[in-house]
Amino acid sequence: MEMVLVAPPAPGRLEDLKRRFFATPLQAVVSLACLTIMVFLVWKLLNWAVFSAVFTTSGGPEACQAAAGACWSVIAARWRIIFFGLYPYEEQWRSALACVAVVVMTVLSCIPAFWTGRRIALVWGAGTGLFYVLMKGGVLGLAHVGEEAWGGLALTLFIFVTTCLIGFPLAICLALLRRSELPWISRTTGLIIDGVRSLPLISILFTFAVVLPFALPQWLQGDKLYRVILGSALFFSAYQAEIVRGGMQGVATGQEEAAMALGMRYWQRISRILLPQAMRNAMPATINQFVISFKETSLVVIVGFFEILASGNAAYGTGEWRFAYVEVYAFIAFIYFIFVFSLSRYGAFLERRMSVSER
Amino acid sequence: MISTNSTGEPALRIENLDKYYGTFHALRGINLSVKRGEKIVVCGPSGSGKSTMIRCINRLEQHNGGRIVVLGTELNDDVGNIDEIRREVGMVFQHFNLFPHMTVLENCVISSMIVRKQPRAQAEATARRYLEKVRIPEQALKYPSQLSGGQQQRVAIARALCMQPQIMLFDEPTSALDPEMVSEVLDVMVTLASEGMTMICVTHEMGFARRVADRVLFMDGGEILEEAPPDEFFTSSATSAPDNSCRRCWAIDWKQRSECVTPHAFRHLHD
Repeated sequence: MEMVLVAPPAPGRLEDLKRRFFATPLQAVVSLACLTIMVFLVWKLLNWAVFSAVFTTSGGPEACQAAAGACWSVIAARWRIIFFGLYPYEEQWRSALACVAVVVMTVLSCIPAFWTGRRIALVWGAGTGLFYVLMKGGVLGLAHVGEEAWGGLALTLFIFVTTCLIGFPLAICLALLRRSELPWISRTTGLIIDGVRSLPLISILFTFAVVLPFALPQWLQGDKLYRVILGSALFFSAYQAEIVRGGMQGVATGQEEAAMALGMRYWQRISRILLPQAMRNAMPATINQFVISFKETSLVVIVGFFEILASGNAAYGTGEWRFAYVEVYAFIAFIYFIFVFSLSRYGAFLERRMSVSER
Repeated sequence: MISTNSTGEPALRIENLDKYYGTFHALRGINLSVKRGEKIVVCGPSGSGKSTMIRCINRLEQHNGGRIVVLGTELNDDVGNIDEIRREVGMVFQHFNLFPHMTVLENCVISSMIVRKQPRAQAEATARRYLEKVRIPEQALKYPSQLSGGQQQRVAIARALCMQPQIMLFDEPTSALDPEMVSEVLDVMVTLASEGMTMICVTHEMGFARRVADRVLFMDGGEILEEAPPDEFFTSSATSAPDNSCRRCWAIDWKQRSECVTPHAFRHLHD
């Protein structure tokens, strides 16, 4: 046997494939079998979703049902219910604009150039204000639409965004209180966080929507929607508080000491030194929590709100489209995917951007 | 308001200072008075209370007994007093403690801007001047993690100086550095001393002590055991605690080591 003294030349792509998948006859057989299965599955999926699918509503549900492939006509016929729920038909352009407002607001606040207190406040204030006015109406000649009629994508986005908007600052407050030097403050906060975390979200939503009105005076109750958002924000903040606290523990104690030695006050130390570093440490878990919260908005159906998933049920549940539920769910899954995937990619971008200063 | 004129009031006066960690008596009746412009070097074995003492001066540690008067203001529970004193007392740490999420320049301007409320242009001009002084003006836009240990410590000194403090505290500023970087930091400290800064340095750099210090303090067991000008300190053969042979050995050991080097060659001394 000869000793190889020189490093072999870097293999080409084809050689590399051969080495990885076809090194022995058995490996070649397994590789080919897997490839066949994959091609078959992809072909089946494409055939169902595209080649044999029906895209127009012209033939009605009957023609669609007869087709071998997917019946996308249900989306063409029912997309308004999926996106807007029970929102009045003639006013649905408002709901669409409101969705755009929330998406634009979210995208803007993800751009580093907007990360100053005043700009972010402006963007969020304008965004939520615009959303509220468009959805609720009652001013500027817009017809009044009560919260009970809100639904679909607009409602999902609204619940998600307001949950984060209320829950995030609350989480930071809880995390700061939990690391207080006064034991009765840190213990009480710990008790609250652990208490909320040990309850299922559904029971919290149910309590805030249904039970709370019995305990609160009339003027404090507010609309059911806002109580549900509060409950969901509380739940979010309990988890996020622990994430932030974990991030804070990763910041060296010397950092706060250095800030103290420079004469910075408590809030200056927190906002300029501690939190920026803590949030950096907590970024992956935070994005995770956002993703989970986005998907958990579908639970509000239990207290009678028609967010996008429930609206989807309504879209196929009316007799003639009953057979097309797979297509409706596939479509809703696609919408979830777009939002959650963008969120994840944005998280990856943030991590790359922040790692520059920590090399 | 802290007075800036030197009307006989010492820069720092410590009387009967006591400090406990739980039941551990970390500082036992420390008395110390430091005049304006005076340079004090504090040495002693680890755990002797050196760091604790200088951390009490800007209230990174709370003392349990006695008085600390800094620039005429007594350190007590009054938060206003503490903030005022911290503004006038700069500190350099063993592990630099630069803010990793900010550039070198940001590190230097942030406290001038948010504590002293200076406009950015003014703060940056000051920062660039001090970065020049510690000989790294070209690193202003880098992040701390991109610098060597010695460079980071010089940035930390510049950052403290940007607040234009009247007293500088150094807590083992060269202990975490690779040997070849010690001298660049000590050079900066020598320059600072020659300009009349009031300095209190905890350090094991005896060459530095010989060259710069007006007084050297030897601490052990939470007490100041010896206090003398460097010439006297390094030539006397025993400490004032002859009863404790260990302490004595330690002090003699340090003194002998420092005698091995001539003062002008101190920059190559590292241990």
